[in-house]
Amino acid sequence: MTDNSIDGRTIHFSGVASRLKRLDASMLLWLALIAVLAFLVLNPVLRLIISSLQETDTGRFTFANYRVAYGNIRHLQALANSLELGIGVALLATCFGVPIAWAISRTDMPGKAFVRLMVFAAFVTPPYLGAIGWILLAGPNSGWLNKIWMALTGAGHGIFNIYSMTGLILVIAVTSFPYTFVFTSSALDLVSSEMEDAANILGARTLRTTLRITLPLVTPAIIGGIIISFLEAIALFGAPALIALPARFNVVSTQLWQFFEYPVRVEEAAAYAMPLLAITVLMFWLQRRVLGRKGYTSVTGKGGERRMIALGPWRWVMLGYALLVCALSVFLPMLVLLQAAFSKAWGRGFSIDNLTLHNFYYLLVEQTQAKQTIFNTFAYSAVTAFAAISLSLAIAYVVNRKLVPWSNVLAFLCVAPFVVPGIVLAIGFYAAYAPPPLALYGTATILILGFTTRFLPIAYTSSAAGLRSINPEMEEAVRILGGSRLLAIRRVIIPLLKKSLAGAWILVFIPATRELSSAIFLVGPNTRVISVMLFDLSEEGNFEVLSALGVILLIATVAIAGIGSKIIGRDFMLRRNS
Amino acid sequence: MFPMQRRGFILGSSALLALGAGPKALAQPAPAMTPHEKELYEAAKNEGGELTWYTAHSDDITAQALGRSFESLYPGLKVNVLRTTAQVAYQRITQEIKASAIQCDVLSSTDLGHSVELKAKGAFEKYVPENSSKVLDIYQGYDPDGYYFVTSAGMIGIGYNTAKVKEADAPKNWTDLLDPKWKDNIALGHPGFSGYVGTWALTLRNQYGWDFFEKLAKNNPRVGRSINDAVTMLNAGESAIAGSGPVGTLLDSLKKGNPLAMVYPTDGTVLIIAPSSIMKGSKHPNAARLFMEFLMSEGASRIWVEHFTESIRPEVSPSEGAKSAKDLKIIRPTVAEITKGVPEVIKQWRETFGV
Repeated sequence: MTDNSIDGRTIHFSGVASRLKRLDASMLLWLALIAVLAFLVLNPVLRLIISSLQETDTGRFTFANYRVAYGNIRHLQALANSLELGIGVALLATCFGVPIAWAISRTDMPGKAFVRLMVFAAFVTPPYLGAIGWILLAGPNSGWLNKIWMALTGAGHGIFNIYSMTGLILVIAVTSFPYTFVFTSSALDLVSSEMEDAANILGARTLRTTLRITLPLVTPAIIGGIIISFLEAIALFGAPALIALPARFNVVSTQLWQFFEYPVRVEEAAAYAMPLLAITVLMFWLQRRVLGRKGYTSVTGKGGERRMIALGPWRWVMLGYALLVCALSVFLPMLVLLQAAFSKAWGRGFSIDNLTLHNFYYLLVEQTQAKQTIFNTFAYSAVTAFAAISLSLAIAYVVNRKLVPWSNVLAFLCVAPFVVPGIVLAIGFYAAYAPPPLALYGTATILILGFTTRFLPIAYTSSAAGLRSINPEMEEAVRILGGSRLLAIRRVIIPLLKKSLAGAWILVFIPATRELSSAIFLVGPNTRVISVMLFDLSEEGNFEVLSALGVILLIATVAIAGIGSKIIGRDFMLRRNS
Repeated sequence: MFPMQRRGFILGSSALLALGAGPKALAQPAPAMTPHEKELYEAAKNEGGELTWYTAHSDDITAQALGRSFESLYPGLKVNVLRTTAQVAYQRITQEIKASAIQCDVLSSTDLGHSVELKAKGAFEKYVPENSSKVLDIYQGYDPDGYYFVTSAGMIGIGYNTAKVKEADAPKNWTDLLDPKWKDNIALGHPGFSGYVGTWALTLRNQYGWDFFEKLAKNNPRVGRSINDAVTMLNAGESAIAGSGPVGTLLDSLKKGNPLAMVYPTDGTVLIIAPSSIMKGSKHPNAARLFMEFLMSEGASRIWVEHFTESIRPEVSPSEGAKSAKDLKIIRPTVAEITKGVPEVIKQWRETFGV
């Protein structure tokens, strides 16, 4: 992600003298950008690390927080549980995402557009909403699947128990496999068929070619997907709170939450958050090490022909598998959520006299907070997306055109929030900016700043990729003809990047609408967002109203994303047009 | 409809002119506002006309009903109702105090220990509502210094799903919950979230020792968060027994048509005393005072009993089908026991139940 190959042309065209003259102005820009990034990224993380080493009241240096945080067998058990959860989710998400990505991008599987749409639907669904759907589906005594099983077999017990580690892994995997899918499919889209042809000529069949040639070529993308789903899983708060607590085990995020109970121990929470930070840094380091040693240069942007592999009858098997994954991630949970949203008491099942619109009426008319909450969610997400993209575009430009020395530092800071789990980032933000002098507690600003930081890596990755695709020659033409750099940016870069920026906007907007783990520590009573309200509703088991609110969130998000895709005229998330 | 509308419009617009208030001025005027209330009401309108209420007293639906009732009594005032569990409300309050940015105006908890603690920290504003002398004797005088007042009370018994359990088989007292026949079929709240559950667990610890919970854990109960979670589990048929069964939510849910029944245990129904306070640093002190008066008013108690929570006013009798605390054998801990005991119980709970 931070790979910025030196573009010699910029240096070549601008002579040493002009470069020196420009240095002052661009130095200011560089300083401004680094100040913004320090504010958003560096300071909260440093504050977190420092407060983990401070005594609660005196602020004196101490290791006591670490002793308390790790001096309890249950706390250590929670760490182990998180690791198990992360690994389980990463593996399962890979099993879900990679075959579907391969089938869509390399084979003649039917129904591709539909499957792609369903993967998108899974991406839009917040994990805690999926979790509620699955509670309704696979609650051991009352879940629909278990009821059907008992009705069919006459058994006294259901066979699925969502309140278990396996259940939690499944629930998170079905909502996070789109990451693996997107990573893998965009890489596969760039692999040409030449090497596969070579293998075929040498006698390898489709399966062998796929396993030995195609998939190894996109290993970096698959590993990227694995890491992201691992990190997602260990940082999530909502789904574990809904499933792990009744299943009677804790994970790191639910344990972190306990440090904020009576009496609040921010310092211990900070100490306890450190392994999460360490694990993520380690993962990214490992990724670099593993990928650095091999060459994957066959993944080039252009040239080479791509042909779809004819699967014969197997294409129906692939479609079946894809539909199974879609059923687990979208059809089934959506079906029960819709049922709950439109019913008086969801336990009474599908019947006409159980139908009602009252849950929606309650939310949109009687409940005074819901309207404000819905508005907040979309307003904050939209502003966040604008802020994250403007900032990252500016930085990507500086980095890409090598306008200042050490610009890679900026790139690193932009993607650094990737390694900070949302809940940890929120604790850092809270510690740094909630109290005076900034006193941002309960304001929209702190939420937007928090969200912007959280999604900066996504915005930066997209902007940087977009910029890299633009040859500097066009800009240089403007400059040679006497135009300023600003003019070049305004009249050349922005128009050229319009589509990919709009795509990036949606990529930030969607996760922002569903973000819970960082929001939960940053909201005030007037700045609540839907995710937090859903969480509060789930606390008292009000599944009917909760599902109705979830349905509103999904419909609005899909509508906005749909309009966005229409404007940019492509499937922004699932296909990359080079 | 149309002529009505027009007449309504004329009436309404003249009312608007007269009162200079928003469209809510059309709502019924308050029945006989006392001079004190009127004074608070006028002052409240001048300080922004709204207040934020963190409440753990009831479920969201009841809380919203109280908020709407207040708004129609005092047109032009708006209540932000934030329903959470007591521990979550406490967590938010302490975050706000730490950040010196008080957002909450009135805090309604279900854990008296929080009130004692926050009062000691100087987090509350002193205010003695006029109505505080008019509530039932048993709810009076909890804080002689006037920082917190009992504004709600509720009971915890045992609930069961009548589709799964016959009346004859249902538990009669708390120790019946330990019967192995209820294995995997009991739903509980969590004292680390719910103030009700915290006090409930403490009361049973006083009664039977912590050993009771060690044995209960062997029945592998389903631990939710809010005490209301247990009712959801019953409605869904996920559990057969609500081990910590909030009377109000259970009877409310029964009225909606869910197959439920309520048991008032022979060894005592747990009574929960729930306090409210005004936060120091509240930006709407007059609205907050008015709201405290409202919570202790007859009107609020009428809404409470509609939703099967205890009335705290002598004038209001319980709804049909509900029993009142004064007719039952009641068990409850003292304020001192709650302050000291609930944090202990939470700790023990985590050790015993693992979460």
